Amino acid sequence: MADRNESTLTTGEKQCVVGLGFCGPGAGSNTSVADVKDGKLVRLRPLHLDWKYDPKQFNPWKMEARGKSFEPRLKSLIPPFSLAYKKRVYSSNRVLYPLKRVDFDPSGERHPENRGKSKYRRISWDEALDIIESEIRRIHENYGPYAILPQWGGHGETKVVHNPHGYPNALLNLMGGYTFEVRNPDSWEGWHWGAMHAWGMPPVGQPQSANCMLDVARNSDLLLFWGCDPETTPWGIDGLAATRLCYWYSELGIDSVYICPDLNYGAAVHADKWIPIRPGTDAALQLAVAYLWITEGTYDKKYVATHTFGYDKFEDYVLGKEDGVPKTPEWASEKCGIAPWTIKALAHQWAKLATSITHGNGGPGIRSAYSTENGRLEVFLLAMQGLGGPGKHYVKMIEWWQFCQQNPMPNSKFFPSIVAAMANMPKVRRFNMDGGKCAPPASSPPPPAGETGKDGEDVGPMITPPQFRSVLPKNLVHDALNKESISFYGTARVGAPIADQFVKYTFPAEGCPRIHMIWTDSPCYTTCWNDSNAYHQGVRNPDIEFIVAQHPWLESDCYFADLILPVATKFELEDIDCDPQNGQHSLVSYQKQAIAPLGESKSDFEVVGEVAKRFGLYEKFTNDRVVSEMIEDGFYASGMAELVSFEEWKEKGYAVVPTDPDWDKVPPGLRGFHDDPESHPLLTPSGKIEFFSQNLAKHFPDDEERPPVPHWIEKGISHDERISSERAQKYPLLVLSNHPHWRVHANADDITWTREAPTCKVKAWDGYLYEPLWMHPEDAAARGIVDRDILKIYNERGAVLAGAYVSERVMPGAVSMDHGARYDPIVPGEFDRGGAINTITPHNRTSRNATGMVCSSFLVEVEKVTEAQMNEWKEKYPEAFNRPYDPAQGVCLAGWLEEGEL
Amino acid sequence: MKAFLVDVSICNGCYNCQIACKDEHCSNDWMPYAKPQPETGQFWMKLEEHIRGTVPKVKMHYVPVLCQHCADAACMKAAPEAIYRREDGMVIIDPEKAKGNKAIVDSCPWGVIYHNEELDLPQKCTGCAHLLDRGWKEPRCVDACPTGALTFGEESELDLTGFSLLRPELAGLPRVYYKGIPKNFIAGTLYDPKRSEIIEGAALTLRSPNGENLTAQTNGWGDFWFEGLEGGVYSLDIHASGYQNKTLGSIDARESVNLGDIPLS
Repeated sequence: MADRNESTLTTGEKQCVVGLGFCGPGAGSNTSVADVKDGKLVRLRPLHLDWKYDPKQFNPWKMEARGKSFEPRLKSLIPPFSLAYKKRVYSSNRVLYPLKRVDFDPSGERHPENRGKSKYRRISWDEALDIIESEIRRIHENYGPYAILPQWGGHGETKVVHNPHGYPNALLNLMGGYTFEVRNPDSWEGWHWGAMHAWGMPPVGQPQSANCMLDVARNSDLLLFWGCDPETTPWGIDGLAATRLCYWYSELGIDSVYICPDLNYGAAVHADKWIPIRPGTDAALQLAVAYLWITEGTYDKKYVATHTFGYDKFEDYVLGKEDGVPKTPEWASEKCGIAPWTIKALAHQWAKLATSITHGNGGPGIRSAYSTENGRLEVFLLAMQGLGGPGKHYVKMIEWWQFCQQNPMPNSKFFPSIVAAMANMPKVRRFNMDGGKCAPPASSPPPPAGETGKDGEDVGPMITPPQFRSVLPKNLVHDALNKESISFYGTARVGAPIADQFVKYTFPAEGCPRIHMIWTDSPCYTTCWNDSNAYHQGVRNPDIEFIVAQHPWLESDCYFADLILPVATKFELEDIDCDPQNGQHSLVSYQKQAIAPLGESKSDFEVVGEVAKRFGLYEKFTNDRVVSEMIEDGFYASGMAELVSFEEWKEKGYAVVPTDPDWDKVPPGLRGFHDDPESHPLLTPSGKIEFFSQNLAKHFPDDEERPPVPHWIEKGISHDERISSERAQKYPLLVLSNHPHWRVHANADDITWTREAPTCKVKAWDGYLYEPLWMHPEDAAARGIVDRDILKIYNERGAVLAGAYVSERVMPGAVSMDHGARYDPIVPGEFDRGGAINTITPHNRTSRNATGMVCSSFLVEVEKVTEAQMNEWKEKYPEAFNRPYDPAQGVCLAGWLEEGEL
Repeated sequence: MKAFLVDVSICNGCYNCQIACKDEHCSNDWMPYAKPQPETGQFWMKLEEHIRGTVPKVKMHYVPVLCQHCADAACMKAAPEAIYRREDGMVIIDPEKAKGNKAIVDSCPWGVIYHNEELDLPQKCTGCAHLLDRGWKEPRCVDACPTGALTFGEESELDLTGFSLLRPELAGLPRVYYKGIPKNFIAGTLYDPKRSEIIEGAALTLRSPNGENLTAQTNGWGDFWFEGLEGGVYSLDIHASGYQNKTLGSIDARESVNLGDIPLS
């Protein structure tokens, strides 16, 4: 729709550009246009880049390979949950007023045991702020500042001035500190705790992949989508450019092979071959491939000699010289469920064809028990075939960051960083591009924790200065709440130096208290982290004296809060946003306020600002700026002023960064290391790919769960989740749990129109829309289960209800359930109806000394729920089953308000 | 006359078309063309899911189904007083005149007219006529499609080479054209159980019910695929040098068939 005159196209409607990505502040995407009339959202639609500009101004790129070409579209490629976000804005689950738990009395009985059960009543902002102020003062006086744990991080709306994640931290930092909840590398665990010791590659163990997509197009013949779903994880983070790229690769004749237990959404439409693998057994398959290459002499011996360290010990293990067990295809087949002849075919095809591996983060294998082993083995297999050579890469279908050599797509001239617009960011900084490589200027302040840094440099908050004396990886919060003391290696922080993984921490830190107050702006532990039933036991502990949540929606962890504050969505606020990772054209947008805040909601910035005023810290908290100045700072720091004036940008609503004219000259991926490893050393002790990790040997010589050479770990002190386990007698099915297709983690579970898709929710006979559990027809028949039955999924850690989706889209023996469904507790800490599968994921970290989390590939049993059983539960738990429920949007505000409160 | 072209081979199943339709038409009143669509349960644009085959030879495709804006529309015959065709070809149910006329729903052989209980009104796709009037070049579903699987334009300007109709057996001269709707497949993998290896390069001949012979070879995965098959009973001759010939008969391809891993000796 080129050359449109929007004013006639949207008669009587106001048009507002709005970023509807979900990655986070400063990492926006999915720029859209909202048409607004009479103060209401009429429609949301893609942004056409040629609306206000001549496309020639963006210098559109073109990839050419094998006689075909590929170009960006001139509109944003937004996903369904962005398109349907109107339903989220006007959700029946919006928190509209400050709420207090009915049986929480800060000056009397607090009834922590009723968190997760009791309902709420409306209070005034003044009363809410009074309680927060007095609780903070009381906690500070009784225990000191470190007794407060702000829970934050994760993904959500990409507000920047009104940043939804971390403002409580910023304020508490001005008040003497707090316990720093570190967001562990929740989508990258096996790479972070494993691959990092094979090839370095901070911040998360994934390699540089600049400009790889062109090289793949020209030189790859085989793409292994290893646990990767290009039709899921990229959608909310980048948009749907990966979809178009996958179709183009197929058109070029590149073989797309999917290795995953499920026919995921990418495999469903793009796969030339699907190799179903039993959840969490990737290491067995990888070892057998290595075995075949070694015994058949089909690996790149020269590369291994010049680019790697400690290969001999790896070969000894693979051939069985170390443990007497050769890792043959037959050995692997028993574990991973793939026929030996198919394992051999994979090894042979891979050795014969220029092969790249693609990832979309997450995936069943990399979030499993002992995922350090498959994370490392993958690096070795790539190395054994000449990693970095033509068509031989590790490429990501997601996070096409335009900095730190992460963007495999054509780069823009610069990366428009707008984080200077955050309230707690002093002016002014800017990221500069230099041939795909970038570095923050030395004078720039540290970005918030969780942002990525360049080669091993610690660009986030330091680990040990006084304000971060007390640190706690998010995946260990459940233990910190329940146990007197815990210890762990590494803060688990994305971007921390590799050496941090060898530092032992304890919680509580010396001289620091345990947690006595939680302030969450990201109430998603329940549905996104691990063994959240244990977390629920922790937050119902009387030691946790006060919990306050601030969020637009009443969901998941909110039910455990004593106080809930209403937060406005993006549409209700003025802000700035960027869209630098969509794989097409980078842009920065001005977010006009589209509609008035719903109810009495305020932005996270305003909420924390109100608390700051109570402590006389407002000027400090905002760096003495008002919102319009923050937006201006964000704009000028982004570099956009080189292209367009501030006034013109505001008036037009967006501006596009042109493509770097030399984008195709950036050496792809690890080409530098491939061509000259001595001049391009990796961040390992040897500077090379380490088959034998010197660091692990030095720091953890006796760790049988993560030995210096990666092993197949059948079971260990940390986990016993294999089908060979005695536990499998009772719990014979392996759950694979992907990042959700119809949500972005916990976001967007309440969208009426996505919930109508058959894989989003299953409407069962009781009218409730259950989260689907995918089950193969054989497993279903063995249990008398048919499509749309209500199911109970359970293990020792608890039970979750689901709706049966009986399908050939999952292999026998495995069942699939996405994480992120909103919690609807029947018995808090034990039994959930909403389908929050993470309530029953494994409790322990990745392995003894690897502080990652495990939330896929674990044992359960599944049984059909009969009507009689359901009636029994309804009688036993009437409060849970009688809560008002909105069939279109699911759990809703009315379900948690005291009668007469609506 | 305007028409839709749907290329199923590049439909990734994102549901944007179905959702964009709801975003435009639920809670929004676009009289004189349309009253609001109910929030749930009705789909003026509906994505249908099709899963073919069995583990691990499984393929999926999605088919967007909407009012076909037939040149010779059954609904217009059933209710000429309430249904009209715009100059651009879009067939419109007049919400004022069609109120209470449930027969309109039943008149459509495609099943794309829904009865809005609350308004007692038959409803369907309008081609976003209210937007076309404002100068939009395409309806919301097409605007929201990321891959180009959905296109809309002058019938004479669409590339209709090799098109098919969704249900060719139905009369009415639909103006929604489809490409790339897959038919059934017969697939399998050949392997040598003694060597425990797949067999590459084997020659396969599939004998069709109509007497036609189709040929294929196994690829580097030992896989063979016969796609685009009509339903019927087939038989398969397998010839691989160094192995005994094998014939598999009575392969019922009413649905797609995965013959599994086939050992040769």
